[in-house]
Amino acid sequence: MNTNSLWKDAFFRLTKDKLAVASLVIVLAYFIIAILSSLGLIASGWSQEVGASNLAPSIDHFFGTDIFGRSVIMKVIRGTQVAMSVGVAASLIAIPIGVTLGALAGYFGGWVDDFVTWLYTTFSSVPNIMLLISITLILGKGIFSVYVALGLTSWVHLCRLIRGEVLKHREREYVQAAAAIGGGHLRKLFRHILPNVSHIIIINTSMQFQVAIKSEVILSYLGLGVQGEPSWGTMIDDAKLELVRGVWWQLAGATLAMFFILLALNILGDALRDALDPKLKGK
Amino acid sequence: MIKSIVSFLFGIFFLFSSCSKDRSFDERELHLISPEKIAGFDPIHASDNYSANEMGKVYEGLFEFHPLKRPYELVPNLAESLPLVSDDGLTYSFKIRAGVHFHDSPAFKDGKGRELKSDDFLYSLKRLADPKLQAKGWWLLDDKIVGLNEWRNKYVAAESSNYGDEIEGLRKIDDYTFSIKLKKPYPQFLYALAMPYTFVVAKEAVEHFAKEFLNHPVGTGPFVLPVFEQTNRIVYTKNPTFREKFYPSEGEEGDDKSGLLADAGKKIPLVDKIIVDIIVESQPKWLSFQKAKADLLEIPKDNFDTAVIAGKDLSPELRSKGIRLFANPQLDVTFFAFNHDDPLFKNKKLRQAMSIAWNRDEANKLFYNKAAIEAQSVIPPGLGGYRKEFKNPYIKFDIDQAKKLLAEAGYPQGKGLPEIKIETRNETVARQLIEHFAKNLDRIGIKIKVSMNTWPELINKVTKRQHQMYTMAWGADYPDAENFLGLLYCPYSSPGSNGANYCNPDFDNLFKMATVLQDGLERNTLYEKMNEMVAVDVPWIFGFNRTKFYLSQAWVRNYKFMEFNHSQFQYLNVDLEVKKELSKKF
Repeated sequence: MNTNSLWKDAFFRLTKDKLAVASLVIVLAYFIIAILSSLGLIASGWSQEVGASNLAPSIDHFFGTDIFGRSVIMKVIRGTQVAMSVGVAASLIAIPIGVTLGALAGYFGGWVDDFVTWLYTTFSSVPNIMLLISITLILGKGIFSVYVALGLTSWVHLCRLIRGEVLKHREREYVQAAAAIGGGHLRKLFRHILPNVSHIIIINTSMQFQVAIKSEVILSYLGLGVQGEPSWGTMIDDAKLELVRGVWWQLAGATLAMFFILLALNILGDALRDALDPKLKGK
Repeated sequence: MIKSIVSFLFGIFFLFSSCSKDRSFDERELHLISPEKIAGFDPIHASDNYSANEMGKVYEGLFEFHPLKRPYELVPNLAESLPLVSDDGLTYSFKIRAGVHFHDSPAFKDGKGRELKSDDFLYSLKRLADPKLQAKGWWLLDDKIVGLNEWRNKYVAAESSNYGDEIEGLRKIDDYTFSIKLKKPYPQFLYALAMPYTFVVAKEAVEHFAKEFLNHPVGTGPFVLPVFEQTNRIVYTKNPTFREKFYPSEGEEGDDKSGLLADAGKKIPLVDKIIVDIIVESQPKWLSFQKAKADLLEIPKDNFDTAVIAGKDLSPELRSKGIRLFANPQLDVTFFAFNHDDPLFKNKKLRQAMSIAWNRDEANKLFYNKAAIEAQSVIPPGLGGYRKEFKNPYIKFDIDQAKKLLAEAGYPQGKGLPEIKIETRNETVARQLIEHFAKNLDRIGIKIKVSMNTWPELINKVTKRQHQMYTMAWGADYPDAENFLGLLYCPYSSPGSNGANYCNPDFDNLFKMATVLQDGLERNTLYEKMNEMVAVDVPWIFGFNRTKFYLSQAWVRNYKFMEFNHSQFQYLNVDLEVKKELSKKF
């Protein structure tokens, strides 16, 4: 008989999936690059001129140079730092909001549920990008606004999932048993129910992370994101005009960087769901 | 590789579309492109350049700009001559041409166009002031003509305005003479009478078509358009009853040589038809020109490198088709403005240091294909007040001098200087331009922060004085340096057009003196003095006077760039022989 815990079991299942492992390695690699860049160990000289304007990729300049003769690869790395930090910060804001509201609504039901349901339906009825733009316009521009804007707009999906799960769990025997031995609401909710639905948070985070990265790119492309720092979005914005002249390397650098992390997060998200919630496998 | 994919796609497009034959060799047709939809044909609403261009084909005003002479010269159009101006500069008497008729239209008795009278001008000017019509061009006459504001205010709350009222400042003398009395001297007034807002309309047409008037233009102009339908094509035909108007026999030096005087003395309009296709996107515009479906084209920014080699010569492919390139310096100036409310910028040496630390030559290469001219001061070349010999010492890139000036300003190597924030438009090139500026200033130790804004946001910040610095470009409304010098006139500070909130009493005194003077040597001398005074004071960091590039097909004759070009099309001609010959190449 298998005596492993849920987590160990899930980890075992995950490692059997080669694609998932590869994705995990890619995601970890991006994290390492982002951390090294934020510590100033790599790409700190991104703003320096390394050659002439718009040099094509070569041995010296792996991804060529931009209009000001700056290295595109360094800008890609710096952009990685921005993208990953946005993913982390947005998740740190969105998860507590989504989990708390979802759990309270699912557990207590009644007017609390009505209120939370009303809140998230209202939020989700406004097109996400409009909401993002309005928030960045109110908060002013800069990376901090992007963190807050993305955090405040991306809790809805998680909240809805947690609410549904908690609703299901609160009638289960183990919760009734907890009540029978005198557990209060908070104990039942946070000590017993939440650990049993926590896999949803992990699955959701990996999905949400990529939404945050994509949104940051869109905002920066529109000029509402980071200012004075390279971002994949501003690089694509630059490329818009350069393409007709045959300068494709900035676009290639930014989109390839984006492509690999988004693909990896997507595959990882699926694999995590399969590993943590085997009943859903293949659905 | 990308280039080859693009050309492959073009190839497919051509393959499927080359079957359509759209060329006529019997009639002189001029094919043009309008990049925006036209809102309608009521002159009082001609606020954008595109509508103005269309209205200029059917409507006319008292004056127009000479199609060849530069600097721009105002010449009589429906007026017989330039007006008589009273000694105090307030009363203008206009004599209009006799024998000018409106287009034939069902609005008139028997459908025959009636003769133009001075009443028509008074009526048209009153329409501009009519509160019921909410004319977009009202600002042009606001507080300018004696009694006109009072007439307007009288009818704000009324059901309709009474055009029969006498207005002191608008007086009919006889059928061909009328006078306008101004509240205060306004030498730019004649320019207002060359703008589409003041083009003349017929009362009968306005009343007959009522709400539909904007779709039934009835003017005196060289072309007719009986009905305007909101489609993607507008077809104008020659006005059969157009008066005797002739192609000018003199122009600027060199016009003769370049063939611009070949049609001198001929009756205009020279073409039988003008076909305007409305094409908004730049790629179809480009394709349309390449297939000779358009005769003139402003080169879309992204196609510049395909059309122009090394920033100046036409590509061999286009040259083989006889296509000609026109590089046209614009009457505009780009700038980084300081907000002089900020005590930091009271320091002249700091402003000068920032100005010479910017490598304009490099910026010109990166952003304008080396085709822009470095702005010496606020007045662009081509306007009175600009002196070719004058060179601004504070625009020449000199990093050592910049460091020295910065130290003298009290910030050696930028120490003690806070980060400076520059507001700009949310647009790729605008952002890159500031990034370039910031990179340059970083070398002498000045830190610049970019702040991107939507257009309304930027205007709002400047109007409310919430900016530290901002960047923008200013284009001429009319060919008078007053339009540019006013950008630095203290009483026009925010929310007015002086967004830099620059105040210089000496400059202001000269401005007051100059703006009431009529065009002439005295005024130009004052303009020059003001222009050179502000150049060394560096109220802005001066940028560039830009250049636009146009292409014309080989068969188009008499094309010369005009900044204020709504009346230009009647002077253009089409050489059918050349067209027939060269069309084979397309």
